[in-house]
Amino acid sequence: MKAAVSVMDISKAWGTYAALTNVSFDVAPGEVVALLGPSGAGKSTILRCVNHLDTITAGRIYVHGSLIGYSERSDGLYELSDVEISRQRQSIGMVFQSFNLFRHLTALQNVMSGPVHVLNMPKDKARQIALNLLEKVGLGQKGDSYPSQLSGGQQQRVAIARALAMSPKVMLLDEPTSALDPELAQEVVVTIKALAEEGQTMLIATHDMGIARDVADRVIFMESGRIVEDGPSNEFFASPRSDRAKQFLSRISAH
Amino acid sequence: MTMVTSHIATASELPIIHRRRWGSWLLGAAALLLVATIVAAGIQARILDLPVFLDYLFSPLILTGALNAIVLGTLALLIATAIGFVAALMRVSGNLILVALSSTYVYLFRGTPMLIQLIFWFNAVPIMFKTITIWLPFMDAPLVSMPTTAVVTPFIAALAGLSLAEGAYMSEIIRGGILAVDQGQRAAARALGMTQKKVLQQVVIPQAGRIIIPAAGNQYIMLLKSTSLASAVGYLELLRIATDIYSSNFRVVELLAVAAIWYLVMTAFATALQTTLEKLFPQR
Ligand SMILES: Nc1ncnc2c1ncn2[C@@H]1O[C@H](COP(=O)(O)OP(=O)(O)OP(=O)(O)O)[C@@H](O)[C@H]1O
Ligand SMILES: [Mg+2]
Repeated sequence: MKAAVSVMDISKAWGTYAALTNVSFDVAPGEVVALLGPSGAGKSTILRCVNHLDTITAGRIYVHGSLIGYSERSDGLYELSDVEISRQRQSIGMVFQSFNLFRHLTALQNVMSGPVHVLNMPKDKARQIALNLLEKVGLGQKGDSYPSQLSGGQQQRVAIARALAMSPKVMLLDEPTSALDPELAQEVVVTIKALAEEGQTMLIATHDMGIARDVADRVIFMESGRIVEDGPSNEFFASPRSDRAKQFLSRISAH
Repeated sequence: MTMVTSHIATASELPIIHRRRWGSWLLGAAALLLVATIVAAGIQARILDLPVFLDYLFSPLILTGALNAIVLGTLALLIATAIGFVAALMRVSGNLILVALSSTYVYLFRGTPMLIQLIFWFNAVPIMFKTITIWLPFMDAPLVSMPTTAVVTPFIAALAGLSLAEGAYMSEIIRGGILAVDQGQRAAARALGMTQKKVLQQVVIPQAGRIIIPAAGNQYIMLLKSTSLASAVGYLELLRIATDIYSSNFRVVELLAVAAIWYLVMTAFATALQTTLEKLFPQR
């Protein structure tokens, strides 16, 4: 079967600093992959490259078969136009650590914003979709609240609903629970778990071992811009192969 | 349990006595006294002849001047906002040439007195371009061809001068508003699949707009008063008309008071407009 996401030998440099070096992996449709690793490992950078918010310096990324950010010609890869890249992003949902809801819109309007302003869907239809999604993330009563009136956990669930409203083929989640205290984080984990059970393809950068252990099928462990270990989640936690992963896990379980 | 309840009850029955701020009261009284002394001195000296003042307050000439000032100030603000918006977008575009052009514009127009700019436009443009000619394609004769002095009337010169000068200030205000919308929201909008233009329309402008209203209101008030500079190029605005009248009848104080009253009315109007807009678009 064709991969949902195919990251092929990508590298990313910020000036002379190599944030990613020769990173390759595939995500199968319906698979949930957790990106683990210490701070600065390059987890966020990978996610931002997958939807071309950051540009790679070498390699290629395919999402459901289409080359992200570039068009291939005989003499090289040419960067796509704003409109073309925007079209590719429509099927890639993204959720951020700091929620990033539109502050001037209600929860409902936030969720409607993609369908209405990107897909030009009629407002009535978009509203119906948005209401269903808010219901799904447990916020059916909060549609008229502005972000400033919602708790962090509620804001993050609205952000997830906003991404889902585009019916993305792939969801990228960058530390979706890191800004939340354990109780609120749990609400978000429940939502993400439900998505996983529905077969949503997800790539999740996280420091939350609960997500990596209970939600993810597979773990990719990184350090300093390289993949150190890549394998099924249960194997990673039961018997990590690399010393670096063992050290990482022992430090976490010491908490 | 009952102990606790009764304890709270007694506590709430005791009146709360606020601390008196004697110092600020004394200061307030002193300030009032000072104001009263000045006003009394003014009245005693009969600096203002009330009937004359009232006579001129609603005279047609003065009213025309006030109207001219409002029209000039308001149009200038609208044009300045458009100029400022474009200059602000250029400034944040990241394109070196556009950034340089925009910052040079802001530096020049913020950095020189408005009066110099007004006189410059009125005098220099007709010298630089002797005639203004507009050609349409496939026509033997130009559509419009006239001497520049006929186009650059005092009103046009004043409007151009005020708009360009004010545009420099507005561009900085608008740029501030744009920058105040965080990168995270832009990234989220891009990730949804919005084009740069959509991000600007749907996410940045609505929030930046709300942020710039108070500062823009302030600029509007400044601009309404700056219309008095237009007298330098012969535009018949409020202050110019008042000056013309008192230079023939020597009722200086009365006429200046009349002009001041109308400037205050304009300011009240601008303030009310700003307050209404702020209520209409509450900060979230
Ligand atoms: N805009 C940038 N300019 C320069 N360097 C950057 C930029 N963004 C990220 N980096 C660097 O790239 C490296 C990888 O960053 P990244 O944010 O991907 O790490 P991460 O694994 O997500 O870390 P964390 O767990 O703290 O979120 C870091 O060393 C970071 O300093
Ligand atoms: Mg990160």
